[in-house]
Amino acid sequence: MPVSVRKIVNALRRRDNWEQSLDDELSSHIAMRADDLEKSGLTRREAERRARLELGSRERYKDEVRAAFGIRAVDELSQDVGYALRTLRKDKAFAAVAVLSLALGVGVNTIVFGMLNTVLFKPMPGIVNPQELYFVGTTQFWSVSYPNYRDLRDRNRAFTGMVADRIITAGLSTGGRSEQVWGFLATADYFDVLGVRPLLGRFFTPAEDANGNASQIVVFSYAAWQSRFGGDPQMVGKTVRLNGQPLTVIGVAPPGFRGTELFFVPEFWVPVGMQPQLENVSYLEARAAHNFWVTGRLARGVSHQQAQAELDGLATDLAREYPQINEGFRYQLAPPGLIGYALRGPVETFVSGLTVLAALVLLAACANLASMLAARSSDRFREIALRISIGAGPARVMRQLLTESVVVTVAAGVIGCAMAAVALRWLSEYRLPLPMPTIQFSVDTHADPRVFLFALGASILTGALAGVLPAQQALRTDPNEMMKGAPSIASGRRWAVRDVLVPVQIALCSALVVASLASIRSLTEAFAANLGITLEGATVVAFDPRLAHYAEPEGRALQRRLMDEAARLPGVVATGYADTVPLGLGHSSATVFREDATDFRPSQGTNVTEMIVSPGYFKAIGTRLLSGREYAWSDVRRPDGTRIAIVNETFARRVVGTVNAVGRRFRYGPDADAEIIGLVEEGKFQALTEDPEPALFLPATRVYSSDTVLIVRSRVSETVMANQLQQMISRIDPNLPVGSSTSLAAYIRIAYFPTVVASVLLGVFGVMAAMLAVAGIYGTASYSVSRRIREIGIRMAIGAGPRQVLSFVLGRTSGLVAMGAVLGLMSGVGANRLLASIVYRVSDRDALTVIAAALIMVLVAVLAVCGPARRAVRLDPQQALRHE
Amino acid sequence: MEKSAEILPGTLDLLILKAVSLGTQHGYGILIRIGQISGGALNIEQGALYPALFRLERRGFLETEWGSSENNRKAKYYTLTAAGKKRLRSETEGWRRLAAAMKTVLAAGEI
Repeated sequence: MPVSVRKIVNALRRRDNWEQSLDDELSSHIAMRADDLEKSGLTRREAERRARLELGSRERYKDEVRAAFGIRAVDELSQDVGYALRTLRKDKAFAAVAVLSLALGVGVNTIVFGMLNTVLFKPMPGIVNPQELYFVGTTQFWSVSYPNYRDLRDRNRAFTGMVADRIITAGLSTGGRSEQVWGFLATADYFDVLGVRPLLGRFFTPAEDANGNASQIVVFSYAAWQSRFGGDPQMVGKTVRLNGQPLTVIGVAPPGFRGTELFFVPEFWVPVGMQPQLENVSYLEARAAHNFWVTGRLARGVSHQQAQAELDGLATDLAREYPQINEGFRYQLAPPGLIGYALRGPVETFVSGLTVLAALVLLAACANLASMLAARSSDRFREIALRISIGAGPARVMRQLLTESVVVTVAAGVIGCAMAAVALRWLSEYRLPLPMPTIQFSVDTHADPRVFLFALGASILTGALAGVLPAQQALRTDPNEMMKGAPSIASGRRWAVRDVLVPVQIALCSALVVASLASIRSLTEAFAANLGITLEGATVVAFDPRLAHYAEPEGRALQRRLMDEAARLPGVVATGYADTVPLGLGHSSATVFREDATDFRPSQGTNVTEMIVSPGYFKAIGTRLLSGREYAWSDVRRPDGTRIAIVNETFARRVVGTVNAVGRRFRYGPDADAEIIGLVEEGKFQALTEDPEPALFLPATRVYSSDTVLIVRSRVSETVMANQLQQMISRIDPNLPVGSSTSLAAYIRIAYFPTVVASVLLGVFGVMAAMLAVAGIYGTASYSVSRRIREIGIRMAIGAGPRQVLSFVLGRTSGLVAMGAVLGLMSGVGANRLLASIVYRVSDRDALTVIAAALIMVLVAVLAVCGPARRAVRLDPQQALRHE
Repeated sequence: MEKSAEILPGTLDLLILKAVSLGTQHGYGILIRIGQISGGALNIEQGALYPALFRLERRGFLETEWGSSENNRKAKYYTLTAAGKKRLRSETEGWRRLAAAMKTVLAAGEI
């Protein structure tokens, strides 16, 4: 291909040259022939005339030579494109509507492909042979405990290397200030297995891993090195303080490298051995603490299936060795980047849902263009017939017509592409509304060449698809018939295409409108749902005493002190703290058993959400206490050693078997009992769409977590309160980094995120669909009117009123639109069934939604038909009759 | 002229190569030469000659040079290249075989 392209380019460059040369040669031929003819007695003039005549048309030879050069195709293409541009310029309205509606379609699809590209195809920056990497996780949690990881790593033979990492946060002290930063704990072979080379210094050595043998070293990301240390070239060897620990900087990672997770931007890496020192609790020997992410590099020649089979064997071994912990575990391979299928599952569902919607929009736009082109090509029958009769082959005419639609779609593609590039850049910079403002969660969705190629391909394909039917239709005409004059009322077959296209397009649009209405309704319901907490009047401030190197006793004292100080602020009604809040992030879970349980394997228990709450927490956060009491500062254990617990209704029903649960017991294991002292109302914990979850609230007086969210209920506005709380903390300990200080509503905004995104997207799709429907119906109706102007004139002349004219001109269009709308509403109802899984509480038979959608479609149709209808009714019969 | 034969497709190139092999010549001269050699039996359409010459030049069988004719007309002269000579040989051989085969086949039909 490149060779022949070069040939054509060279030929084009030389063409002036050879055209001149051929001209000269033919002139010389004529001169010599004339010489000979002159000798036979003709006059010079006559001889030259004869010579020219004998030779024939120069243009024809040039054409043949051109064909020999292989540049005729290029010439014809530029002719076609020029012609297409001229005809489009003549009909600006058509061009604008066609280009814009398609640009919308192509743009949306390109954006969606950009997301898909990021999740599925884009290589991870800085990593060698990323296709060999697999995430290895249990099907339950996707994360793996460090001891289990160690066993998997040492016993497997399918992987050349297996690394573990864990997101960790720490207070980084620079220049007297302490800031919260996020990074990875990583095993020593992490960088080697990923194949990353340091930009400065070095990475970890095997000796620096090891348990307990903690090396006080740290590697910074390129971005952190630039932003926090000004790109200091002498960085390596310097000492920084993380959570008060002095660490030596040994290296800087290359630009762009962000580990193996797509969504998280780490600022630093420390060896796993540092975990106990940085987190004040050791997970390195805790087989039941499933909190590391494992990534393996598959050995060459080992198949996915072989590796899976080996992992299955290892899982069985581990379950036999540690049945209390590992029973029922299965390790599964997954593409890296999205925590196995924990995130990949929902993300892929989401993106494929979007793909379907986007494809529908493109299809509707394509049908739109096809029906507009079909209308145009039936207007141009005579022109096409003329072209055929003067010798253009069918292929040539076909190519001409296709060129026109491809020109439209390529123009649309360019606009759509620009749209997508902007949107994707914006997405890359978008930060999730997380409760931790310091963490960098973002996904690099920047458009790469693949995205642009996709846009180009999508638009050309659409152009060809939309152009081929009308073009074929045009070619079926008999030139002789057409030259005699096209019948003014189109008859029979060539309406068939449009008869299908219009309803199809309207159906697609109606379905989209139904879906988007349903999602908007669900959004309003989501905001009205009972969360089990009272948002209004609640302000939260999040902090972690560990980041300012408090040990447990000092940490507890600080938590209590801040809570008491907050209670003294003006306007404060109630205060309390917890390790997190419902619908916040980072919930723990526990497995509990009935009081009479004898089998304590995890599969026999009930998995419950677990929170650690202080006395006063329920009042502060606004969760109703149904029976029993809240914790008191004096609560630790019952005299007989039994623990105490507060649970919610679902817990009571599932574990105890009754809501009269106060005073009843349940068990954590064979020798750990707990007594329920309070029962609280139901609530949401992880997601708005979840079913009621069992929840267990542990007393902060017994269990310590350094993760702290202080909740303050006040009569003052949340903004004022948040400010006061922040000032209070910096007064008490200026070195304590404050993670977040805001209203409770803002703090849990992330919980609304999926619903809001889905609803906004569906809303956007719905508006787009309505716009496409307007364009489509308008095109059909106005074509129908312009086609029949003379006929309308005749009818008006013989006494038809506006009503008859309208029903005559638009009757068929309305019929087609109505058919499409009914079809679409029906499929929209079907689509809602699918939506129910993503969007909050979509009812698949929501009558109101369907009625509203139907009304919108009627409105859209009326709006679209208005212009053409007015034109039809206001026609002057005199002029109409003269119309050709 | 009444005994003129139609040029078979594909034979024009061979005729041109043969005519040029007899000596460097310009387009019009090639036309005259083919007419003379065939005794007027083979008549090439004047215009068809030039695309064929172009094709042969592009394929490297002919070399060209602008010069002056005997009547002092500016003219483009064609010379056979080494590749052209080789081509002429192989095409001549091929044509002979075809002609012989045709002759045999056609003779079989005569009683």
